[in-house]
Amino acid sequence: MMKQKTIQALNEKARAIERLAQGEAKNVEALSGPPAMPQGCTTIFDTGWETNPRPEYPVGNCQPSARDYSGCAGDCWWPAQVPDGLTNQKVFHEDCLVIAKDFRNLKYD
Amino acid sequence: MQAYTWADHRLFPTQEGALLFGVDHASLFALDSRARDTLGRWRSADPLALEDVPEEARGVLEELRDAQVLVPLVPHRRPRPAAVPELDPAGVPLETLVLEVAQTCNLRCSYCYAHGGTYGGTPRLLDPETARRAARTLLERSGDRRGVTLVLFGGEPLLNFPAVRAAVEEAEAAASAAGKELTLSLTTNGTLFTPEILAFLRDHRVLVSVSIDGPPELHDRNRPYSGGGGTYGDVTAGLAALAQWGIPAAARVTLAPRQWDRIPEVFDHLLGLGVREVGIAPASPVTPELLPTADQEEDLLRGFRTLAERFETEARQGRCLPFANLLDLLGRLHAGRAKGAPCGAGYGYLALDADGRYFLCHRLAGEEDFAAGDLETGPDLEKLRSALRAAAAPRRELCAHCWARRLCAGGCHYENHLRENLLGRAPGDSCRFIRPWLELGLRLYARLRAEPENPVMQRIARRQEC
Repeated sequence: MMKQKTIQALNEKARAIERLAQGEAKNVEALSGPPAMPQGCTTIFDTGWETNPRPEYPVGNCQPSARDYSGCAGDCWWPAQVPDGLTNQKVFHEDCLVIAKDFRNLKYD
Repeated sequence: MQAYTWADHRLFPTQEGALLFGVDHASLFALDSRARDTLGRWRSADPLALEDVPEEARGVLEELRDAQVLVPLVPHRRPRPAAVPELDPAGVPLETLVLEVAQTCNLRCSYCYAHGGTYGGTPRLLDPETARRAARTLLERSGDRRGVTLVLFGGEPLLNFPAVRAAVEEAEAAASAAGKELTLSLTTNGTLFTPEILAFLRDHRVLVSVSIDGPPELHDRNRPYSGGGGTYGDVTAGLAALAQWGIPAAARVTLAPRQWDRIPEVFDHLLGLGVREVGIAPASPVTPELLPTADQEEDLLRGFRTLAERFETEARQGRCLPFANLLDLLGRLHAGRAKGAPCGAGYGYLALDADGRYFLCHRLAGEEDFAAGDLETGPDLEKLRSALRAAAAPRRELCAHCWARRLCAGGCHYENHLRENLLGRAPGDSCRFIRPWLELGLRLYARLRAEPENPVMQRIARRQEC
């Protein structure tokens, strides 16, 4: 049954917050199903700027780290270690063959 | 078990329930009576575990959590300082440059903060070559900004039309070469239009603001010629000429505290003159006599409230009352834009005086504490930083406890400078007016929001994009 809402978002900021809450609920569902690709911007050593706004553990951690907790349960992905589509290191695979050795080659803006 | 804490918020009771304003996000929600009562009962519980809350209240509290009014309590996280965060002007591209085209004026307005247009120095004009260079600099320093604004200001800018022309033509050429949008605006006393000037303003789509303060006796008392004698007749003739040439003009009103009880009358008079929009500014206290009494502040609020009520009545009919102060406020509330600084001064907004020196803003031109480099060497970042820091410091503590801090962020630097540094008033002197005005806007916005299809609402939404 749809709960009756007692609070209505009025301005654009309030609506954005409301959408965020709805979106986050979906993310939680997604994470309990098959593992999804990492979202957001992250690099190898900078674990990202998005914090986990959900009340679930680990509260306030950056999102990639938060995703590690559930992401690793599926096919043992380690999301925070994977530069995703938003990384600005376009030739990552050429510059950084072995992370531990070659990370200094990475030149971020 | 997750514990929650209450984020800073403010409740404004209404007939249906309450308005809830999220202080740090500048978010606005309407609560029905059930939500209001539930919030009232649980507000003192901090920290709060949702599991401990009875079923009937939990739904409301979950909604408040989704609204980020109730937020997860993180024991080891450093609490965020409540005050408005300090921004760094470094790397902020230049977006608006105010050119003090003429630091002289043919009027002697009673409340002038620029000492007859000179900003405290000898009367002087910006030479056209410097004006051109300034215009190019604006574009060169505009980084990734899609649009830039050049403001032609004074003194009376039309006392130096050659520099106006030079700056406009150069800015247009540079903007067109860079593929950027250019906005041109000019603030004038409206007494010096010639057919040549009018044709230029029209052809270059310059947005014109004319300073005019209301009915003849009031206007003439505020804005006489330097040699004496009223200017009302000439200014209204100037407005008529603008209309004849098809140049839309906005009226910019400045009123001394003793005139604040005449706000609705002034507004009506100016609308009657056919201006596009009317913005009303209380005169800055450049002398102690211009510091308002509590009663006069009440007059100001009452006047603005009366205009807000009329705005609402008109809006219900789908018409927009062109009261610029309110339109600006509603636009900002609509977006819920949380401010990190009270204005753009130093953050992409700078003034350049007739000698080619940068200042934090046009009103602070000539104030050595707010000088920041020159056209030759570029804006001085260290000076900008220290000026902004010094301007923010006295209010840091005060703002940290204020619900309106992300809407106001401390108020006008110049106004604060006058009140605190020159007149020795305590910080927060303007808060008595600013807070009720913001509350008035919030309540009006919430009522207008009930009719989202209203064309006035759409205009408000568009305004904040400008």
